Amino acid sequence: MDLSYTEEQNLLRDSLQKYIEDNYDISQRNKLTKSDTGYSATNWQQFADLGWLGMAFSEADGGFGGSAVDTMVMMEEFGKGLVVEPFLSTVVMFGSAISEFGSSAQKEQLIPGIIDGTLLGTVAYAELQAHHDLENIETTATAEGDDFIINGTKSVVLHAASADQIIVSTRTSGASDSKEGISLFIVDAASNGISRTDYPTVDGLRASEITFADVRVSGDQLLGQLDQGYTVLNKIANRTILALAAEAVGAMEVLYKDTIAYTKQREQFDHPLSEFQVLKHRMTEMFMEYSLSKSLTMKATMLESQNSADAQRTIHALKYLIGKASRFVGQNAVQLHGGMGMTEELRIAHYFKRLMVIDSQFGNMDHHLEKFVA
Amino acid sequence: MDIEFSQEDLAFQKEVQDFIKDNLPKGMDLWTKRGEWFQALREKGGWDVAKWPPAFGGPEFTPTQRYIFDMEMARHSTPPQLPFGVGMLAPILMNYGTKEQQDRFLPGIRDGSVNWCQGYSEPGAGSDLANLKTRAELSADGTHYVVNGQKIWTTLAHIAHWMFCLTRTSSTGVKQEGITFLLIPMDDPGIEVKPIITLGGSHTVNEVYITDVKVPVENRIGEEGKGWTYAKGLLVHERTGLAGIQNSVLALEKAKDNARSVKVGQGTLMDVPAFRNKVGALEAELLALEFTELRTLAQVSAGGDPGPESSIMKLKGTEIQQRISELNLEAAGVYGAAWGNPVGHSFAKGATSAYLGARATTIYGGASEVQKDVIAKNVLGLG
Repeated sequence: MDLSYTEEQNLLRDSLQKYIEDNYDISQRNKLTKSDTGYSATNWQQFADLGWLGMAFSEADGGFGGSAVDTMVMMEEFGKGLVVEPFLSTVVMFGSAISEFGSSAQKEQLIPGIIDGTLLGTVAYAELQAHHDLENIETTATAEGDDFIINGTKSVVLHAASADQIIVSTRTSGASDSKEGISLFIVDAASNGISRTDYPTVDGLRASEITFADVRVSGDQLLGQLDQGYTVLNKIANRTILALAAEAVGAMEVLYKDTIAYTKQREQFDHPLSEFQVLKHRMTEMFMEYSLSKSLTMKATMLESQNSADAQRTIHALKYLIGKASRFVGQNAVQLHGGMGMTEELRIAHYFKRLMVIDSQFGNMDHHLEKFVA
Repeated sequence: MDIEFSQEDLAFQKEVQDFIKDNLPKGMDLWTKRGEWFQALREKGGWDVAKWPPAFGGPEFTPTQRYIFDMEMARHSTPPQLPFGVGMLAPILMNYGTKEQQDRFLPGIRDGSVNWCQGYSEPGAGSDLANLKTRAELSADGTHYVVNGQKIWTTLAHIAHWMFCLTRTSSTGVKQEGITFLLIPMDDPGIEVKPIITLGGSHTVNEVYITDVKVPVENRIGEEGKGWTYAKGLLVHERTGLAGIQNSVLALEKAKDNARSVKVGQGTLMDVPAFRNKVGALEAELLALEFTELRTLAQVSAGGDPGPESSIMKLKGTEIQQRISELNLEAAGVYGAAWGNPVGHSFAKGATSAYLGARATTIYGGASEVQKDVIAKNVLGLG
């Protein structure tokens, strides 16, 4: 057993930290979140140039052969920096699905563009009637010759307005809540019949409602097996949850440390807030929630990367724990900052909002607690 | 990063498992054959004193081997040793005692023939332990101390042959100075032990009255006035051992089994969402805490300090112990109200007293609130 990072992982972390320190203070981030696309194309190209976009892909696919642990290292730093570039949607959600389940033609067509920064992707999975159930899909794909015709509406599709390609979960057979009969298609975002309503998310990122009206795709665009798409979709969910958990751990670290720093300099009743026992204990609890979250993130990431039989259950436990810890740490960071905690000006507000959104993605804490104990 | 144990460590784990399978007495024998079990551990090469250094007869375990050893012992519910001699006094004797003291006391500690109790807490010295008042006055000829005072919450004082005791030899200066570490025989006529029955109905702790007890200076550990330093190292040791992670892993599985045996409607208690979700929440936190212990182990194995994560073990571990006892209490349902008589579910008899008894876990060994103070100060740098 060895829980330390490799030399390469330490270097990766150092370069991320340096980049974020140089390019990513909160005022720079605020400029990005108020821009048209919500992120910086220049930053994205630098991510590509630094090799970060290719980290998770195998060497055969033109990447660096990184593991889930590498992604964890990166996401934790992105969480600390509150990075807005579409790494999660393009590399983790879209890219890892193509890399694991794509045909060789699909890989050749899509992965080089992801790695060099010219292709953005995302996954459209959520629907109005589904709440958090991944398998509850009413968007249909109907076979017509060798093609399929997609109809339906997908919700809160992350960075859809910037995406060139979208993986769409559809129902090709079975009842609307069945895990059987789900098929995924890789759809060109510019296809005829696609219409979008774009909006910002509460954490400053971008999302869209997407309507598919008789969108024609070819059989070649099927990702994985017909009717067996749930396996792929669940894998995307698991990978994304691990990445989100690492990001949340990074964000929680900033929140508890910022709170400590603030209570040391803020004086009331002639004493720094940090001397009040009720606040010291609260911050100790924030630290505990952060530490436990980090532990379980590490464990689940390693189990998943080793294809352990315990991985699925541990990921359910993780998403629950992260949701609970995030809410506790976020709420108390605001509470202990007092009135200042309510302002847009301090960065803690933005970390808090990011954590809120993380809980809503790919099943919230209650959803995963139910799955964990089932 | 690699979550798996090395081949060597896995081989060691197998060795421990095989040893337990071959030597652990079965069923009721567990109580009558404890002696044989500890003898077998001893003959295996110091496994009876797994935490002792090789110079004192302990095995040469790596930190990972020790973790595996403790884990397997807990998972197989092997008979525990009383912690006071082997776990608490022995390290102090090894570090600060004279050769004569080590030769005199360590053999009895190891073979279990001499029971020890810990004379620390007093009516006015609980979490604020350094506030202790029990006086030890050196005789004019310098041959012995005369000790007067009262200890309280003294676990198993009623079966102890000896007590290791913190006494005050000086009241000038800060509270932590002027404390002297003495070894006192419990059969002295000046020692009176009065039982305290705790709310779970059991007799584990006592009051100990000490009146004009003469303690020869040979029974002093280290220097006069330095007892706090010796005891403090021990307290840290005590706290890290109190998390009881592996015991909780086992206890939670048992609690789930208990709940599955309780019929509710067409299903069992584990189908009731309110109960089931409590189980899940607890298990998720326990998984995280278990891995936190491994993170600490990994850091120590690599030659580093345990790291800030280790500070939360006692705090969170005891909270989890309490929550597991709550699950059993709730699973017992109406039978949780019955006192002493075995009625209803087979597990129900002990559930209430175990729940009540578990309240102590967040009080002893440094109350949770004190633990939070310590973490705030030492880990988070809060004044």
